[in-house]
Amino acid sequence: MRRLTDNWRSTTARLILIYGSFFALWGIVVIGLIHWQAASYLTRVSNELIGRQADYFSMLDEPTRLRALDDYVSLETRQLNAWGLFDAHGKALAGTITVLPPNVLINGPVAIVPQGLARSDGHAHVSVRAAAVRLRDGRILLVSRDTSIVDRIGTIILQALLWGISLTVVPGLLGGWLLSRGPLRRVHAIREATLPIMRGDLAQRLPVSRRGDELDMLAGIVNAMLDEIERLLGEVKGVCDNIAHDLRTPLTRLRARIYRLQQQFGADSSENETLEACLVDTDALLDRFRALLRISELENQQRRAGFDQVDLAEILQEVHALYLPLAEDRGQRLELQQPSLPPIHADRHLLLEALSNLVGNAIKFTPPGGRVDIRARVAEDGPWVDVCDSGPGIPPDQRDAVTRRFYRAESCRSTPGSGLGLSIVSAIARLHGYTLQIADNAGDSGARLSLHCRDAAAV
Amino acid sequence: MPRILVIEDDDVTAREIAAELASHGIDTDRVADGREGLRRAADPCYDAITLDLMLPGLDGLSVVTQLRGQGIATPVLMISALSDVDERVRGLRAGGDDYLTKPFAPDEMVARVDVLLRRHRQQAQQTLLCVADLELDLVRHVVRRGDTQLSLLPTEFKLLEFLMRHAGQVLTRTMIFETVWGFHFDPGTNLIDVHIGRLRKKIDAAGCAPLIHTVRGSGYSLAQTD
Repeated sequence: MRRLTDNWRSTTARLILIYGSFFALWGIVVIGLIHWQAASYLTRVSNELIGRQADYFSMLDEPTRLRALDDYVSLETRQLNAWGLFDAHGKALAGTITVLPPNVLINGPVAIVPQGLARSDGHAHVSVRAAAVRLRDGRILLVSRDTSIVDRIGTIILQALLWGISLTVVPGLLGGWLLSRGPLRRVHAIREATLPIMRGDLAQRLPVSRRGDELDMLAGIVNAMLDEIERLLGEVKGVCDNIAHDLRTPLTRLRARIYRLQQQFGADSSENETLEACLVDTDALLDRFRALLRISELENQQRRAGFDQVDLAEILQEVHALYLPLAEDRGQRLELQQPSLPPIHADRHLLLEALSNLVGNAIKFTPPGGRVDIRARVAEDGPWVDVCDSGPGIPPDQRDAVTRRFYRAESCRSTPGSGLGLSIVSAIARLHGYTLQIADNAGDSGARLSLHCRDAAAV
Repeated sequence: MPRILVIEDDDVTAREIAAELASHGIDTDRVADGREGLRRAADPCYDAITLDLMLPGLDGLSVVTQLRGQGIATPVLMISALSDVDERVRGLRAGGDDYLTKPFAPDEMVARVDVLLRRHRQQAQQTLLCVADLELDLVRHVVRRGDTQLSLLPTEFKLLEFLMRHAGQVLTRTMIFETVWGFHFDPGTNLIDVHIGRLRKKIDAAGCAPLIHTVRGSGYSLAQTD
């Protein structure tokens, strides 16, 4: 159920991603600004320096100039500076620069020579700035200075930026992923806790930790909501039960009066038929109320006093024997298939009631000539009892609904019954901690209702 | 004429019980309090007792326990608003003979009282039950109608035994289901009818006078028709 990508969907992870991106972007802007300012400052200084030096050299007399130019080169230990002397036609006369670059204007501003200048002393310059001045005798003096330091500073700043980002973003993302695991684990715990609630066990609550954070606040809100829902449902159920309970007494008296009337008139009288119909209707009403009260009785019964080791195989045989004549009367085949079954911990009477209801239901909803199979199978965590029929089946969207009180599938409206049989079964199953599954009858048209007698000790 | 002690604190229920029993020719005395009920129950003139479990003074369960403790064996029909199987089991263990849940159909109550009264009268263990030309031998597990031996399934045998032990009495479907199968839930009306139908087909074969009769609105009765 839980996927790795789930971690990235949490609020913490999203915040960390947003903050990470914002931080990285801001870092890039700041570093870019620093880079731009540093570069422009260095460029300005270099330009001024080169311009002044060119002017200075041009004003000196020849011997002094040559000495000064040598000093200019040798005093700069890193061989950053270079010069070249050209005649009016651009032919190299002296110095280490042998070619006059075309983009450097004579007496013009300091210009960049990005591809570098060819130097006779073998020093290759990546990027240089140069200025050319015309001397009084017409010759041209070119002075250059290596300014790749500006680029190098740029590179250093860029590297610093990359390191900074990787050192911030990578642990940030990792931390975010790890941090989001905690809340996610709690979300999963909450999801686990909601499953029984969705199945109808409204007594369950969401887990609340002592931290009191957002998740706890939400869980608290949901829990308060569940309290209210449970109270309201309890009230509705209580009202239903009270009505059922209160109506039973007058209904029983009504039935008694009709019965007495019938006895007085005798079996041959003309009123007998009507009275008989009245009795049948009253009995149907009483049955329905009895079933309703039985469910609430089962739901309120939390103790397990009647629980004991029970022979499931024997119970299945009893149920089979009980219903076989009914099935045969309806032209149905009722078959029991069971392997040797281990004893289970259950209330014998309730289990009989549940299984009888399942089989009775299957027979009721299977047309004459059909078949009903009771199959038991052994599983690790307790035996299963499948009751399969060849009736109309239960559509998937109605499977939850059929265990609700009074629910009857659309296709069975005309069949007599209280609509409470499966509700009784699921109430008994709940009391035992068993599960009732409703599925298609594999390879057949009907329904398969499975009671999983899960061993409480195995859970 | 049989005489019954009704220990019941609810006036309406008590009146109902008395009226219904009177219409079946049974006399009743009524007591509303548990302690008083226990004192009167010792009187040997009563053939049976109906006992409400929720009583002022002394509760029904204690009444029946003390009654049996004094060696008084008058049959007791316990009547309670609690339909729980556990309650029933506790009531029967304490010494009650039958258990009926409120609200009850009067004919159901009368049928049960009737069974208790007759059981009280014929305590001797019979091994051969006879009704008309129908014979059921409990020892040899044989059923005979006239000269024909009938083959019955175990459940059918138990069902017939119950009907024959209470020949001439009305037995409700609930009583049959509780006694023959030992189940205490609502199996749906026609389940018992189907089982009775099967038995009837075997017992009342063509040409024989029918012995199993349907009592409309109530249940069944096995009796020889005159």
